[in-house]
Amino acid sequence: MNVDTRNIVIINGSPKTTQKSVSGGLAERAAKLFETHNIHSDIIRARGITQETSGDVFSKMRSANALLLIFPLYYFCLPSMLMRFLEDYAEYLSLEGRPSPDQKVYAIVNCGFPESDINEEAIRVVKSFARHIGVTFRFGVSIGSGGMIIEAKDAPFMKKAIARLDAALTLMAQDNGDTPAENVSISVSFPRKLYFFMGNHGWFSMARKNNLEKKALYARPYQEK
Amino acid sequence: MKAVIVSDRDHNTALFHRLYDEILSCLKDYEIKELLVGRGDLAYCTGCFGCWVKTPGECVMRDEISHINRAIMNSDVVFYLSPVVFGQVSANIKTVIDRGLPNMLPFFIVRPDGSTMHPPRYDQYPSQIIIGYGDDVSEEDVHLFADITKKHRRGAEAFVYNPVLGLSSQLKTITLEKSEGLL
Repeated sequence: MNVDTRNIVIINGSPKTTQKSVSGGLAERAAKLFETHNIHSDIIRARGITQETSGDVFSKMRSANALLLIFPLYYFCLPSMLMRFLEDYAEYLSLEGRPSPDQKVYAIVNCGFPESDINEEAIRVVKSFARHIGVTFRFGVSIGSGGMIIEAKDAPFMKKAIARLDAALTLMAQDNGDTPAENVSISVSFPRKLYFFMGNHGWFSMARKNNLEKKALYARPYQEK
Repeated sequence: MKAVIVSDRDHNTALFHRLYDEILSCLKDYEIKELLVGRGDLAYCTGCFGCWVKTPGECVMRDEISHINRAIMNSDVVFYLSPVVFGQVSANIKTVIDRGLPNMLPFFIVRPDGSTMHPPRYDQYPSQIIIGYGDDVSEEDVHLFADITKKHRRGAEAFVYNPVLGLSSQLKTITLEKSEGLL
């Protein structure tokens, strides 16, 4: 068997500083799956990159065969931290030269709301980014109820969603770029009402841990009259 | 009437100045607060949800954002002026938008079209208008810039500035007043 010499740079675009993130969990899952296809991948946590370390990171991204951007949806598009990272990368490329036009770009976007289609515009932003730096966008994966895909990944009701995620990652691993690619949408089959109930209950229980009563959550600190 | 104009300090192009002048002439009767945001001025939202469960309504990172959010919530109209970057707003302007999260409540609600949203924290919100600018913005990016906001947020408007049409004609159907929190 030939050893695949391709390498994929996986960018974990979560702005979280300390807590574990869904994007981080997805990045690890992707790297493991790529490994089974003999593809080497590097995970880069965009949050941790400083102006001093960005040169090495950007050079690695520029020479990769593919980039996979994994991030949460913030206000229906990319979080500002990830935008800064991509703006800086585009600036680096304008000085150092563009990557090969054959470089492939993929995205995985997760959102806390159950509807996965809500991520569509964020995927279009990644496609626009690829167009601006002159590389080839292939497809994006939209995930609804994002928190569950890592936290509840072993639950029986997650089976279908996890299988679809792994199938999408396999498509990336096997993608030779010759066939048209379509975006993949992954929703968790979990009752929406129950998801809302659990979510809403969660906010109150977090507030209680911070010694806040229920009504304190509704504060209006900026109301002047 | 009060207006807030949030601009990107690092993208001060000729087109930006032209847009800015047009806005000022559309806001003749308004008391205007100008806010410039540049690299490093504000921390990024980290999705910690502290603004919902620790200090409800206020970000736990106490930088300029408290003043910005207070000014926004007490205005009638807010303009976010941003270069179009990959079809969305720039990192600087997105930081202000992301950190507007304290102005919403946690919880999930269902909107009339069946989609999920977080409920409003306040009874009224300013009219929010996100205007992109740039030389040679592609058709695709013009559509994307509007879709990001207009497909998902009922209380906000977004479009790319077209100097040929002129701003007042682009603003024709948009109200520059407070309204109840349609999110």
